[in-house]
Amino acid sequence: MAVGTTERRPGHAGAAVRGSRARRRRWPGLWHFLTFAAPGTLVYLCLVLAPIVLSVGYSLTNQALLRPRTEFVGLRNYELLLRDETFLNSLRVTTILTLIVVIVPNVLGVAIAALLDRRGWLYNALRSVFFTPMVISSVVISVIWTRILADDGPINQALRALGVREPPGWLSDPDIALYSLASIVCWQMLGFCVVVYLAGLQGVPQELAEAAAIDGAGPVRRFLHVTWPLLAPALTINTVVLLISAFKLFDHVKVITNGGPGTGTTASVAFVVLQEGFVENRIGYASAEAVVMLIVIAALSVITLRILQRREVQL
Amino acid sequence: MSRSSVPWLRPLVALAAGAIFAIPLYIALINVFKQSGQVAGGVMSLPSPPTMDNLVRVLTGPDSLFWSSLRTSVLVTSLSIIILTVLSAMLGHYLARHGGWWPRAIMVLLLCGLMIPPQVILIPVTQVLKSFGLMSTLPGLVLFNVGYYVPFGVFVFSGFMKGVPRELEEAAAIDGATRWQTFWRIVFPLLRPATASVLIFLGVWIWNDFINPLIIYGPREGTTIMTGVYKSLGQYAADFGGMFALMFLATLPILVFYLLLQKQFVKGLTGGATKG
Repeated sequence: MAVGTTERRPGHAGAAVRGSRARRRRWPGLWHFLTFAAPGTLVYLCLVLAPIVLSVGYSLTNQALLRPRTEFVGLRNYELLLRDETFLNSLRVTTILTLIVVIVPNVLGVAIAALLDRRGWLYNALRSVFFTPMVISSVVISVIWTRILADDGPINQALRALGVREPPGWLSDPDIALYSLASIVCWQMLGFCVVVYLAGLQGVPQELAEAAAIDGAGPVRRFLHVTWPLLAPALTINTVVLLISAFKLFDHVKVITNGGPGTGTTASVAFVVLQEGFVENRIGYASAEAVVMLIVIAALSVITLRILQRREVQL
Repeated sequence: MSRSSVPWLRPLVALAAGAIFAIPLYIALINVFKQSGQVAGGVMSLPSPPTMDNLVRVLTGPDSLFWSSLRTSVLVTSLSIIILTVLSAMLGHYLARHGGWWPRAIMVLLLCGLMIPPQVILIPVTQVLKSFGLMSTLPGLVLFNVGYYVPFGVFVFSGFMKGVPRELEEAAAIDGATRWQTFWRIVFPLLRPATASVLIFLGVWIWNDFINPLIIYGPREGTTIMTGVYKSLGQYAADFGGMFALMFLATLPILVFYLLLQKQFVKGLTGGATKG
């Protein structure tokens, strides 16, 4: 066992070591673990893993702030969830958000990365421009866009100047608000996709594209058949990161629409969970929602990773 | 690739795309320097003349909301990222140097943590922190940040550790160095690019964090800079200039931090790529 060997301090061979070696094989480097690994693991255990277990526990009770006694209710919360219009609607909202936020920045990202894949100060500067929203807080981004998309904001002023009598209420029309919200998130995430695709493009050997060109492939076919398959790892990273960020979207909803306009037209799952848990204070019920959220995001991430990584391996 | 027949087309299209993309940033920036009356007028026009009134108003506000939030955010962010760097570098080192099912199980559990949305754990986290007496305190928020972001740090460090030859550590051990000395004097300095990317990412995330400080630190005890911006939305509802000035001042520190460390970070990206 190679690991056991490096674990031994050099300089002592012989019987004395053999006992501790056997112990170390059971738990490799116990002392190393206690000094190096235990502190981080412990904090993670207390503040992430234990809370997940607690969440599952709470979800089986009817715990709520105003209820004097907490009782075990089994799976009742989960049964209620299946008929809860607010929760089912939040799943629908999050599905739409996630679909848009996974697809649009990926498509635009690869296009812009292909455009910026050149040397020179101009392209470096533009790269930074596209990345800037990633460094800015979602709260700030949300306030900026709320102002821009306001009914009397710059976009509608421009539309009125162009002769549109009644420009759309980007954030006030219940039919449009969700798509406006999704677009804002796409705008913020685009820079991340661009940077990841640019890194991927730099790993594509020039010779391959040149060989394809000699064989008579045009730019479109060269991209589709040579470059794009080699960008598979970048696609995997972008898709998984976008999926997870879209699924837990909260900040933008809270600041821009607070779940509205109308009843819950933009209330994402993350928003509903926190609303239920910290505003309505129904801890048991909110925990059941949180557990469902965790299961869905775990399943989605694993499936997406599997599918996309298989694509990488085949190359 | 191919030599384009119209060489000016690419820079022109790239420039146009960048300009359209940057319009919201431009609007936000010019509004910082516009008189409040002007803000409601032509939104795209340059401020004439530019004014510092908005910035001064925010910086000298009677409630000193900006300064107290800034202090909190600087404290929370710097403490969190320093502790996170130390703990995740050491944990990453342990996990990269050991096989066996225990270390592997820890690694898998940490990787799962990368995708857990904070909303899933926040309700029980408040209970856990309450039981330690740390709810609504600064150390409580720092501790939560450490637990929540340690998977990312470990992920970066353990990946990078594979490029650091074991022989270095063995040689140091032969020379009589303890593991602690070996790690901090020999291994850790070699991890500089990984350290830079961990500091950048976590610094930006924690500085910009909204929901975690909102719930864990709570508005009663005071605010971090971003919960402060959120809290003052009502106060600045009719004062767009002040609002944009506050947001500008709230973003500036982390933007500077990002730009300062960026060079190190880019080195880290390419370093990891060539070793991959």
